[in-house]
Amino acid sequence: MTSVLVVGLGETGVRAARQLLDTPGVDRVTVAARSAPRARAVAQALHDGAESYVVDDEFAIPEGIDAVAAAVPPEADVALVRAAVDRGIPYASVGDDPAAVRALLDLDATARARGVRVVAGCGLAPGLSDVLVRHAGDLLDSVDEVHVARFGIGGPACAAVARRALREPNCEWRDGAFVHDRHRGDELIWFPDPVDARECALVATGVELLAESTPGVERVTARLGVPPARRIPTPSLVSPRSRSRALDASFGAMRAEVWGWRGPARDTVVYGVIERTAVAAGTVLGVATAWLAGALPEVGDGAPGASGLGTAVKPVPLLAELARRGVKAAVFEGVAIA
Amino acid sequence: MKASQRALLVAAIAVAVSAVVRVRGKGPVPPTSGGWRELQGPDFR
Repeated sequence: MTSVLVVGLGETGVRAARQLLDTPGVDRVTVAARSAPRARAVAQALHDGAESYVVDDEFAIPEGIDAVAAAVPPEADVALVRAAVDRGIPYASVGDDPAAVRALLDLDATARARGVRVVAGCGLAPGLSDVLVRHAGDLLDSVDEVHVARFGIGGPACAAVARRALREPNCEWRDGAFVHDRHRGDELIWFPDPVDARECALVATGVELLAESTPGVERVTARLGVPPARRIPTPSLVSPRSRSRALDASFGAMRAEVWGWRGPARDTVVYGVIERTAVAAGTVLGVATAWLAGALPEVGDGAPGASGLGTAVKPVPLLAELARRGVKAAVFEGVAIA
Repeated sequence: MKASQRALLVAAIAVAVSAVVRVRGKGPVPPTSGGWRELQGPDFR
């Protein structure tokens, strides 16, 4: 019997649990939160036999769990992954806080010693973005620049992490080193419809994972745009265009631009994703966890160690599985206008 | 050197430098006109 534990029942965690319940080969899904009423309510709302569990201060994991999906704040993420690795349980996290991601990657040696796989950054970006960058890299002979941008947040906890990322110094991978800078470099990024053009600022979020999963890359940047917390008051007071921009607040978007060489010519591949941020992140987390639990063996080989999603999985099977579940990527086909 | 000659020299250097930067910086530009196509079966092979 394959059992998984989903810890953290916010917008993303609940969607990950839904995806796991819908995965053939996953027999038991336990949803966990610090609050017993919250865990029970989510388990009941999910139907399909989801069980509830209350997380204590020690982050004890129940018996018989084959993989853990974490959608928790950074501090809890670090404590929970240690508990999982100690027990030899594979772990997937949707967290994108750079310090927490580093803490997960630091467990590489311990995870290898215990024969367990830890996967950091299983969300929209980092996460799906890293997989698309690898997929783009497979179309090119070599990759030298990667530029990823994300617009949107999954839920309140995700918003807090995103706003902190926008306050902290950004980080770029430049010529083999991480370069920290306070310069935000706001830029208008064009995402697929209906998100369209959004201003995004340079952040450190996900840069380390992209540099790790793209050997030989010379430059990596990550940008983040956060929708305004305030909603537009009444539809009658705003223009149709402003209204549409206000109503899509739960929508997120990701754009991955990969530069490299194809033969003698310099070339670029641009991928994008439009989806409700929590749905995309929850689906990626759910699929990654199902793979770690052994329910989707085609997605990767599951070799022990700690890494990002882009390094851990095979891009094509993962993208196909996500598309089957409704999270679809698009490629930009266009011409360069000098 | 007279001030006018010095100014001419500075202007000449500026023109030369900008010409070099313009030529060396002339790389490919990202696609700016086109559209998005959903990835389909053939893209997953």
